Amino acid sequence: VVGRPLDEDDLIQRAKRGDTHAYEELVHAYQGIAFRTAYVLAGNAADAEEAAQDGFVKAWRALGRFRDGAPFRPWLLRIVANEARNRRRSAGRRAHLALRAATEQPSGEAAPSPEAAFLTSEQRQTLLAAVNELPDDQRTVISLRFFLGLSEQEVAETLALPTGTVKSRTARALERLRDSYA
Amino acid sequence: MPELERALETIGRELDFPATPELGGPVRARIERRSQWRRAVLVAVAVLLVAFGIALAVPDARSAILRFFHIGSVTVEQVETLPPARERPLVAGLGPPRSRRDAEVSAHLPIVLPKNLEGPPPRRFYAQPGVIAVLLSVEGKPVLLAEMRDDQVSIVKKLASGKTKVEPAGVGEYGLWLEGGDHVLTWQFGLADTRQIRTRLAGNVLIWLKSGRTFRLEGALSKEKMQALARDITL
Repeated sequence: VVGRPLDEDDLIQRAKRGDTHAYEELVHAYQGIAFRTAYVLAGNAADAEEAAQDGFVKAWRALGRFRDGAPFRPWLLRIVANEARNRRRSAGRRAHLALRAATEQPSGEAAPSPEAAFLTSEQRQTLLAAVNELPDDQRTVISLRFFLGLSEQEVAETLALPTGTVKSRTARALERLRDSYA
Repeated sequence: MPELERALETIGRELDFPATPELGGPVRARIERRSQWRRAVLVAVAVLLVAFGIALAVPDARSAILRFFHIGSVTVEQVETLPPARERPLVAGLGPPRSRRDAEVSAHLPIVLPKNLEGPPPRRFYAQPGVIAVLLSVEGKPVLLAEMRDDQVSIVKKLASGKTKVEPAGVGEYGLWLEGGDHVLTWQFGLADTRQIRTRLAGNVLIWLKSGRTFRLEGALSKEKMQALARDITL
């Protein structure tokens, strides 16, 4: 999901100079995390695709303002997240994101990983249902932090929130979830 | 890491997210389209500003612009009264004659010549930034062929009196035929280098667009013959 090109700085510099092929490589590297972030915020795949695409185009136009050496991923995700939120807002609907667990093991996989083995199927379903029941702001933080693997700092930057707010929302969400998981 | 957080991460790896669409190609296409559009707008604005500036700089044209045409690198204005002009050679303002190779290197532009030109191959080529020209001999009459890159602000400004016939021509992507009357030419090579060449044209002018390039033929030929020559160049 995350993917980070080894020569990211070089690609960014080339893109800043107008190299569209270099920027296309950056898009490839980050399209997964960008699309999923947009999906978490917009609530459906069609809006997420449009938001991610628009976000990449806007990021291209804003590249001149990107500070050299700063982490690219949260900067990009903030633009994509903003697009996704705007899309949801203009459609006048509440994000109704029903995250589902994949039902089948990938073919050829002999056994679940040690991390997966400690969760029963019932626990997975219960916990996921509880996440889906969280208030929007808490579910978003939980999804970005744990499902997409963003750091606390990245979540804060992506959602344009103070780190303290992310911490408190995460804590409140985990408190609620703990009851379901117990 | 506490067990609950670990459980959430595990679920995250198993979630059934929709497949990520391919975004690289569509995004690159959009930003390239936008760049082309912006470049075209900038060139158009620059051309209009230059044309407007030139019109204001010519006292007699300032008061009486009747019609305005723009085609590729060429702007044509029909005015009521022409500024004073004297006859000059067709190649005036285009610099000294050069070999074909020197001209192409200097203009950064390969020239496209007629495929079926009669007589010996032309030897007198001329070049300015973004403009390449050659003096042809057609039916024993001198004809100037000039080719210009549309993405450079290298334009020919032409003022034609009301006596000049201006009509569409059926060559290239869009063509314009100017016949009769007197004309005053101004060449603009880059934004800083304006040269007003006052000349009475010996003949008629055909201007047409093809593949991002503006072509211009000037000489004492009829419209039919000039169009046939044009098609021999860019068909």
